[in-house]
Amino acid sequence: MTRREWLALISSAPLVKAAETNAPAAPVSIARMASYDEDATAALAAMFDQLGGLERLVRNKSVTVKINMTGGTGNRFRGMALGQTHYTHPKLIGATAYLMGRAGAKRIRFVESSWGTGGPLEEEMLNSGWNVRSLQSAATGVEFENTNALGKAKKYARFTVPGQAYMYPGYDLNHAYDETDVFVSMAKLKNHATCGVTLSLKNCFGILPASIYGDSAGVDEPNEKPVDGRLKVGHEGRRQPSKSAPQELHFGQNHDPGYRVPHIVADISAARPIHLAIIDGVETVTGGEGPWIRGLKPVKPGVLLAGLNPVCTDAVAMAVMGYSPRTTRGTAPFQTCDNTLLLSEGHGVGTTDLKRIEVRGVPIEKAMFKFEG
Amino acid sequence: VPARWPWQDARSLELLSGSPVNCLLLEKYSAELVAAANDRGLVTLAVLTPGADVAAEVKLALAAKVTGIVLEGDFPEGTGARVREAVGGAPVVELSARNRLALGSPGPILGTYQGVWPGISAQDDGAKHAGPTASVWIDTNTGFIRAARAWGGATIWIANQPPPKTVITGARYLQVYADAAISGGRWVIALDNDFAGRLHRGDADAMSDWRRLSTLASYFERRPEWRAMREDGQLAIVQDPAKGGLLSGGILDMIAVKHTPMRPVPKQHLSADALAGTTLAVNVDNDSLTPEQKEILRNFTRSGGTLLTGPPGWKDPTPNAGSITLEKAELERLNDIWRDVNNMVGRRNLGVRLFNVSSMLSNLLAGADGKTAVLHLVNYSDYPVENVTVHFLGDYRKATLVMPDAAEAPLEIYPTEEGKGVDIAKVGICATVRLEK
Repeated sequence: MTRREWLALISSAPLVKAAETNAPAAPVSIARMASYDEDATAALAAMFDQLGGLERLVRNKSVTVKINMTGGTGNRFRGMALGQTHYTHPKLIGATAYLMGRAGAKRIRFVESSWGTGGPLEEEMLNSGWNVRSLQSAATGVEFENTNALGKAKKYARFTVPGQAYMYPGYDLNHAYDETDVFVSMAKLKNHATCGVTLSLKNCFGILPASIYGDSAGVDEPNEKPVDGRLKVGHEGRRQPSKSAPQELHFGQNHDPGYRVPHIVADISAARPIHLAIIDGVETVTGGEGPWIRGLKPVKPGVLLAGLNPVCTDAVAMAVMGYSPRTTRGTAPFQTCDNTLLLSEGHGVGTTDLKRIEVRGVPIEKAMFKFEG
Repeated sequence: VPARWPWQDARSLELLSGSPVNCLLLEKYSAELVAAANDRGLVTLAVLTPGADVAAEVKLALAAKVTGIVLEGDFPEGTGARVREAVGGAPVVELSARNRLALGSPGPILGTYQGVWPGISAQDDGAKHAGPTASVWIDTNTGFIRAARAWGGATIWIANQPPPKTVITGARYLQVYADAAISGGRWVIALDNDFAGRLHRGDADAMSDWRRLSTLASYFERRPEWRAMREDGQLAIVQDPAKGGLLSGGILDMIAVKHTPMRPVPKQHLSADALAGTTLAVNVDNDSLTPEQKEILRNFTRSGGTLLTGPPGWKDPTPNAGSITLEKAELERLNDIWRDVNNMVGRRNLGVRLFNVSSMLSNLLAGADGKTAVLHLVNYSDYPVENVTVHFLGDYRKATLVMPDAAEAPLEIYPTEEGKGVDIAKVGICATVRLEK
């Protein structure tokens, strides 16, 4: 795509009335990284410097990093390593841990709600072919937690959606999302069958514990041995979460996953603010979020993004993917769903207006890698 | 090391240079081929099938100077004995339906022509997965071989042939061979027509695939001690090998896919000794046990063992002649048992726990002296798997990685929560971790 085509694309995108035009803006850094064999530490360090330095964000702080390990570890696309397709790559995770340690973070806890299990995250990482010992030694204070259930705590932490929530007034989450000074969403640059794109915002749909929001969640209390996903509660609204958690506001009124999931994600982005968004677009997939989506293709955009505001970061990421971040339902990549970014903008989380977002490092048009329409 | 030999010319035997294959199954046997094979010290077995005049066929075969006879198929009762009498001391191998196997018999070889074609199971449309949850199912003969081998000392020959009208890669042949070999069985090598044709013409790719298959066969044959080892681990599966043990896709294969090491204990051999060292036991078909056998299991629980018994009314299915897999209804019932086993095992380490092995099957075997164990791994995917982690129990102080196409390499042992661990950088088709005290 040429710069002229790019400018035409963003200027023709429809504006959305619901969007908060005065939602905050923050700079976004883009870097080129052709493959995971390149120096990820150097690339990320330069990006963090462009954002004002990591020390300012994490020194003497506890950090929780939500990575993306969607789907079961056995579900591989053509036998490829998971980090090369739909998982955040472990090299970037290790580099992030190292840089945060060097910047003075006192604890760096990597978290994910592993599919269908409440077992240790370390085991899911081993099952992904990751070297957990190496990740652990990247910095002092590195920890891992599977947030799909109660985990190492005795109770869940409640996060209330400020203002008027779309779907649920609040969410009960694993303690890791509460016991932290800094929350990082470390996502993958890819499409999503239900949400159009999976970026730093959608990545946080995975913070919902299946013990409460899963198909096998207890009716009254959480089921600490979850065995499946969140289709019935989150995607379809066929049941409520466990009664111990805040209940859906308008239960039974909408069963469209393309409406529900973006609205839930937007609620989460307001309830559990993201301080740093990192998006891995070095190697990824297009056409969906994982190997269970027909027509998935592996691609190598060779790009990394980072930003201090998740909506701004995702907006720039969408532009890099060749989409307008202000596109509404009916237009790619939101053919059958609402635009999560605009909904988050509506909550005042951040702006999708590219004209207000300063891009540092590589310009968008030079980083652009067109994803499927 | 048996192979179905599809060619009649003596020149074809040149393929066996450097190959451990030393036993040829011949549907047709030209004098030229048999003589040349005899000169090379190879065993030649004439393959007879039901329908013909067996006595006459045997005479013809012996006149052609083959070494022995293979009876492949379901002959009338007593045919094997009559043929053995007719051939004197010459070897006779019966390749029967699984449900007609003479399990526990003293013969050196127990063979069947029935087997699933090992590999990652695909749906009808070719897709391997259906949703974010799906983990792969691997079609395998390992459960059957383990069950049959646990009852007697015979070597199991599994003589199933490649599925027709299917493109079979060279790698797939390796997987099929290793599928039997990791459980101490032998697949009777059988090539599809396309591969055989290309090999006979000297096609370079086909020759390369054949050499790889020979290398893999040599890998197992050079280490006969592996075949003498027995399944190890703390989970015992008490089952009648003459019933569900004969089936593929049953409880043994379900547990194999979970990578939980297990010891099949034939109910015919159920004793306190057979359960020694185990902490969990699954009694698949309680109604089929004698009062004495039930008492053995009661004593097992009294001494601290955990016992899981199949649901009331459940009867371990018996295969019929035409089918070696479970019927849908049986599979659904078996899934109930499987869920209970899965819950019971959970994340416990019952000898070994493996990570990043979703496309693999494994088998933990231990030597009689208790000083050495081997963990076999077979990768059924089309790609090498990187970074496999093994957590094991036991006071093993030395770990060595053994692979068909690489020199043996020591593995660094590190402590883990439950025991010790080693990491394997890459597994192509097959790898073995040898553990020594």
